[in-house]
Amino acid sequence: MKLSHHFIIFITIFAGFWMDEWISEFNIREYIFLADNIPYLIETSIGFLIFCYWVYAMPEKLHSSAALIYGLIIDLCFGSAVGFHMLFFVSISYIIHIYVFRFRIFSYFQLIIFFGTAAVFYLACKYLIFFPTNYSYLLLIFSFLVNAAAWLPIYFGMRSFRRTFLK
Amino acid sequence: MARTTPTFTPVGKYALAILVSLSLLISDINYQTFSSIRGFVQAAGIYSELLIDSFTTKITKFNSIYEDKKELIKVNKDLQNALLKLQNKIFLEKTSQVLANDLINLYDGVQALSQDQEAFIFEIASFGLKNYLCCSSHSLYLKNPQKLKVSANLPVANSNSFIGQTSSLDINLIKVILFSDTEHILPVKINNFFCNAKGAGKPLLITCTVIKGPELLKIRNNDPVFTSGIGGVFPRNVSIGRVININNSTLNESKIIIALDANPLESNHFGVLINL
Repeated sequence: MKLSHHFIIFITIFAGFWMDEWISEFNIREYIFLADNIPYLIETSIGFLIFCYWVYAMPEKLHSSAALIYGLIIDLCFGSAVGFHMLFFVSISYIIHIYVFRFRIFSYFQLIIFFGTAAVFYLACKYLIFFPTNYSYLLLIFSFLVNAAAWLPIYFGMRSFRRTFLK
Repeated sequence: MARTTPTFTPVGKYALAILVSLSLLISDINYQTFSSIRGFVQAAGIYSELLIDSFTTKITKFNSIYEDKKELIKVNKDLQNALLKLQNKIFLEKTSQVLANDLINLYDGVQALSQDQEAFIFEIASFGLKNYLCCSSHSLYLKNPQKLKVSANLPVANSNSFIGQTSSLDINLIKVILFSDTEHILPVKINNFFCNAKGAGKPLLITCTVIKGPELLKIRNNDPVFTSGIGGVFPRNVSIGRVININNSTLNESKIIIALDANPLESNHFGVLINL
């Protein structure tokens, strides 16, 4: 694969992580008085899901080295520790690689469940490692619903992007 | 039966990649191996954001040359900033004076040392709002146009009270760790009771976990909380918050929950006491 293609793919992943940051900074408590005392319950994983999409769509072109380098740059720009995104990118990349043909015969619903669960597992590990005091099952449940709902728009959006820019 | 892999998936390479990332992660979490590199990248990101901001501000200014209202807003904003700076300076001078008096009482000779402590006002460069709202890591970056050599562990305040302490200097941006960060520990005094208050990982909250005893029974909700000065970073007897709850977490321990007075989100300028 050309370097420019890697660059385009990385830009989309970076934009996803940036969007996650942007969404997290939106403080709903400022707008809804009743929400003043509720804890923080939702975290999106758009960047992680975009990475999953690229491996799912182009498994023969994205291998461990690409996952490692993308993860390293994301760790340096967004992560709390170097190695975290590297580890998760490599792991999910490996899982998608070995089951990619099985995923092809999955329904959209099954894909939603799988990628939603993967995103929540990533979030759970992130909270357990870096922010154990803020870890909660409610957060995981709500985040699962949000990330699962985000998978289809990401899937179709990135597919049309890929067909336009990465022919 | 369908093949499970589209192409050859080299397990060895994946295993190696996982090992490399795991070792990097463990070394960074345990020994902060890459904290300086990460700080550098984050500071570079903040600088680029500031550059884009200043660029867009200049374009906006150019457009609003003929718009009187925008000019008035700018004057208003400048006046607000000046007022905040003034409030901040007054607070810091007051606390500097308290510190100086303490030192005079102890040693005559160290008066000169207290005079060396000066309050500098810095404008905020970036606030880690995402982590502040959701997670336990609470920090902000301050601009340092004068390129002062600001060391770690210096008190930082806004116009109300102290909000945290300096943590590091990344490409001339001053990193400040807030009281509510779970990594931060602040020795405090409630009435005559001393304890180490740890950040709760939630905005404006710190907690003291203490062993139950007769002194604890004297503490009531809304009791004022002061810095004890024991840590050597903050001057003593500066009001930083009040007790809002006392939870009996276990049989032997209680958790005193303290709400902080100074909200870092309300200020654009912060003062740092620097030993010159």
